[in-house]
Amino acid sequence: MKKNRIGKIKYNKEIAKDTYKLVISSDVEEISSGQFISIYCENKTLRRPFSVADFDNGSITVLYKIKGDGTKYIKNLDENDEIDFLAPLGNTFNFENVNSALLIGAGIGIAPMLFLKKELNKKGIKNHLISGFKDTKEVVEGSDEVVIGGSVLDEIENVVEKVNPDIIYSCGPSIVLKLVTEFGIKNNIKTQVAMEKVMACGIGVCRGCIIELKNGENASVCKDGPVFWGDAVKW
Amino acid sequence: MVDLSVNLNGFELQNPIMTASGTYGYADEYNDLIDVSKLGAIVTKAISIEPKKGNSGERLFETYGGMINRIGLENLGIKEFISKKLPILKEKNINFVMNLAGSTVEDYIKAAEIAQNAEIKAIEVNVSCPNVKQGCLEFGTNPNSLGHLTNEIRKIYKGFLIIKLTPNVSDIESLAKSAEDNGADCISAINTLKGLGVKVEITPDKKIKKTFVQGGLSGRCIKPVALSMVRRIKSAVQIPIIGIGGIANIDDVLEFLTVGADAVQIGTENFCHPDVTIKLIKELDSVIDSLNLKSLDELKRKLRDE
Repeated sequence: MKKNRIGKIKYNKEIAKDTYKLVISSDVEEISSGQFISIYCENKTLRRPFSVADFDNGSITVLYKIKGDGTKYIKNLDENDEIDFLAPLGNTFNFENVNSALLIGAGIGIAPMLFLKKELNKKGIKNHLISGFKDTKEVVEGSDEVVIGGSVLDEIENVVEKVNPDIIYSCGPSIVLKLVTEFGIKNNIKTQVAMEKVMACGIGVCRGCIIELKNGENASVCKDGPVFWGDAVKW
Repeated sequence: MVDLSVNLNGFELQNPIMTASGTYGYADEYNDLIDVSKLGAIVTKAISIEPKKGNSGERLFETYGGMINRIGLENLGIKEFISKKLPILKEKNINFVMNLAGSTVEDYIKAAEIAQNAEIKAIEVNVSCPNVKQGCLEFGTNPNSLGHLTNEIRKIYKGFLIIKLTPNVSDIESLAKSAEDNGADCISAINTLKGLGVKVEITPDKKIKKTFVQGGLSGRCIKPVALSMVRRIKSAVQIPIIGIGGIANIDDVLEFLTVGADAVQIGTENFCHPDVTIKLIKELDSVIDSLNLKSLDELKRKLRDE
């Protein structure tokens, strides 16, 4: 159940250029790939949402890129410091009837893909994670294949041929998710995308993080998402 | 045992801590995080006659000490509120105020009729939404229009009638007075302040990227404006006042009570601290107890030095 929790920081260090790994020990019992937590940052009006990159026995891992005051605040927290967060929030990736999955992470979008990969492995579902970074200094470990500089999408046709996926999961900038979805539609492959938006409440109430769906309805990224079927989103 | 209850001209609250419209959903949405039935009352998100999809594009912009929103009154519409949310509010014993928004006097009359027929105990009339292009803003800025609107609603609606005022006016006193003279039971103030969020970024390829979010500013930064408005309203009317604007801690609550508020609404702070309301209820209890007083009413008198 979603709750406001106080956890303890077990690890908070830079693992790639401007990219940090934060591990929180908590009383969370269950959290799945696609879901996120929102962290209280002192003197900020809004909490900051982060996809879960790993979960093991109450330990939640998130990856974050230094962007503004919120992430700078988190960066300065030390091991054993308390951290205030809401969790678990949002929905999860769907892997019903999936036999082979392609995972695409663009930049820090790799975070939920790592957790998804772990869950797919556990279920014995064949998968391949390709991730893209601006340069080698930014690379986060854990992918099957890494693209540096260019776009992960440049490789998508080759990878699809190799993996023959029945679904593509992706997380990254909106433009990447849109192109992944278009590729999926063209090639008749299902897509699920994990989206990001500035949020306020984190529980679907304030309607601040709305995206529009093709059926004309609004959906909140924080509660109805962050995971959406790519072809349901009005891009 | 401290008595935190408030009787606002007939509308009873178990304590003066309410939640502000637009920040708390329609019913029990926050129940996973706190026990909503413990609050004085929640105020629903603004509800219009027909469902509304709200604005497209970016809706939020964080500022120093606050945030700007341009949700654009997205809501489920009054029929669905009555059929789906009202039963939850009743079943879970949540005291609530229905916030109404419209574009025309007729909209408000229709909504007031529905509220009356559904035996809704209290409504808050949003005459101050700054985020829709046409509509209710005029009611909030012109004392004659506001008086007419209040009067028309009053004719139909027999429950507790709150008029929520906008701070985006030069003469808040005459608006409050006009509402009172035309039958309002209570004033709530303030709604958000008009604000513009601007972000200028220089991209790696040396281009300028600009973002503009024009909407309503809320959060801690608006508290001094709200305090000033509440005090001015207090000088103009006899009916109770619900103070709103940047309340985040017990000191803020005491300040609003001091300048004339009889109850308060917590809005933006719920996003950061979902349990802030419950904390404030406990802390208010402690403050009253520490002063060897027995009730909120006694505290109010002491704060106002009456």
